[in-house]
Amino acid sequence: MRGIRVVLIQNDGVARTIDNAAIGVSLMEVGRAEGVDGILGDCGGGCSCATCHVYVDAEWQQRVGPPDDVEIATLDMVSHLQQSNSRLCCQIVLTPELDGLKVTVAPAE
Amino acid sequence: MDSKQAGHCPVTGHGQTPLADMTLSNPKIGAQPNAYYQAMRVEDPVHYDEKLGMWLVSRYDDIVTVLRDPLTYSDKHGYAAQYASGFFQEFKAILERDGGGFFPDAIKDDPPAHTRVRRLLDKAFTAHRVATLEPGITAIITRLIEQLADKAANGQVVDGVNDFAIPLTISVICEQLGISQFNSGKIQRWSSAVTAQIGRMQNREQMLDNAAQICDLQNFIIAEMKARETEPREDMISDLVHATLDDGSKLTFAEAVSLIRALIIAGNDTTATAIGNLLFVLATRPEVATALQASVDDERLMNRFVEELLRIEPPVRGLAKMTTREIELGGRLLPKDAHLLVLYASGNDDETQFTCPRNFDLNRSNIGKHVAFGVGVHRCVGASLSRMEIKVAAREVVRRLADIKLAVPVEQIRYQPTVAVRSIERLPLTFTRR
Ligand code: HEM
Ligand code: FES
Repeated sequence: MRGIRVVLIQNDGVARTIDNAAIGVSLMEVGRAEGVDGILGDCGGGCSCATCHVYVDAEWQQRVGPPDDVEIATLDMVSHLQQSNSRLCCQIVLTPELDGLKVTVAPAE
Repeated sequence: MDSKQAGHCPVTGHGQTPLADMTLSNPKIGAQPNAYYQAMRVEDPVHYDEKLGMWLVSRYDDIVTVLRDPLTYSDKHGYAAQYASGFFQEFKAILERDGGGFFPDAIKDDPPAHTRVRRLLDKAFTAHRVATLEPGITAIITRLIEQLADKAANGQVVDGVNDFAIPLTISVICEQLGISQFNSGKIQRWSSAVTAQIGRMQNREQMLDNAAQICDLQNFIIAEMKARETEPREDMISDLVHATLDDGSKLTFAEAVSLIRALIIAGNDTTATAIGNLLFVLATRPEVATALQASVDDERLMNRFVEELLRIEPPVRGLAKMTTREIELGGRLLPKDAHLLVLYASGNDDETQFTCPRNFDLNRSNIGKHVAFGVGVHRCVGASLSRMEIKVAAREVVRRLADIKLAVPVEQIRYQPTVAVRSIERLPLTFTRR
């Protein structure tokens, strides 16, 4: 299956466009594999470390959806960086509907 | 600046202690280390502890630098140099002779070998999977608390560590692994024996005892694995015995033994220590007991309570790494093969990161920034599981017990003789039923 396009904007302002991101994997795995700055993914997608924190672009927020309770609890651990469009991108599984998805990587601290 | 800042804090716990002649291997310092940590952070942040022969990394920023660069600061070599220190060849020979073999810890390797096995363990205790375990964990914990409450109601002194925290964590991990028949006292002795190998304070006689315990542990693991080779069950030992890794390969026998051993051991003493600390704090700091009481019906505050407990009293205080090349760290030029002790506990106590670090404060905005679970590729795989155990223990203790008090003067509380963890040995308590 053909992949989708996702864009992650790093803290240095550089937009990293990944053109052939595989369907069914998480945005964290894609970002980590491509070495996107700030996508560390320490816990490997276990929703426990908050080192894959992104802000979802306004126009994509609805399609990406809100975090669930477990993710909300982990986001609270970085409440100093949290915004209304915060997501842990290991919990965003790529689907064909997310083709074009754009997010900004949250600052480290 | 630091002492001035500390002067404004209601609780300081720091103080000026000269660094010279101090060593973390002194049990007195090991038991009450915060003044030593602070002196290091201020005077000599990457400090050479002569007696240990190790560089102590004390500042938060330097700790994160080390942990984020696993190829320069090798976990594998740091661990190997710490393991059974002073007796390694003899220790290894005993395990080969009586314990089925010497199985190096596959998870304590460096990338890329580490990454291969780590991806497998990452899947074991995700926060979502652990959330589904909450009812089972609650059942284990309430049963134990009720037993304790009965004992206390009969006027008996209860040991919060050995009668509660340790059996609790052992029951949880055994259930996960699928070990249905177990002797909690035995598993505790195995845990202590393994943990002592990185503690730097065992003499030869203790090493021989510990090696015998570890042989027993390995023979037990091997038998459990054999029982699942042809007939897999719905449990984690079966999963590991039959696992296929992301690269399509299988675990070797030695790798599987080492991973099962790691899962049995790594989470027991550590989580039990945190739960012992919970009870100690409730018995000695009324403001914390009040804060917990007020938070008990609020999930968010309970999660924050657990994080702040781990920040202020981190069970794992120091683990080893080794430099693979000459490198500057914290203003100090370290040679290749410098043996480091990363002081997570000092990082959590660093006043440049955490305002008034000895205060127990549920409202810290950076509450998850502590390094009690480490940072980077080796960050604890059991973090979600231990958080859940601590949270449920805190909730059920506060709901069911009142008037928790130490049954001995606080000066009599002793800590395990090891540089790796700061763990209360025995915690005599009295309390009533709520
Ligand atoms: C409060 C309880 C716990 C604390 C404080 C704790 C702390 C830590 C720390 C500091 C590390 C090492 C990070 C580094 O190398 O820098 C670690 C690694 C590890 N922990 Fe935990 N831990 C706890 C509970 C658990 C539990 C419950 C399990 C198992 C179910 C577990 C399994 C492991 C394993 C397997 C590693 C090695 C990970 C690796 O090197 O990739 N831990 N833990
Ligand atoms: S990778 Fe750890 S929370 Fe997403």
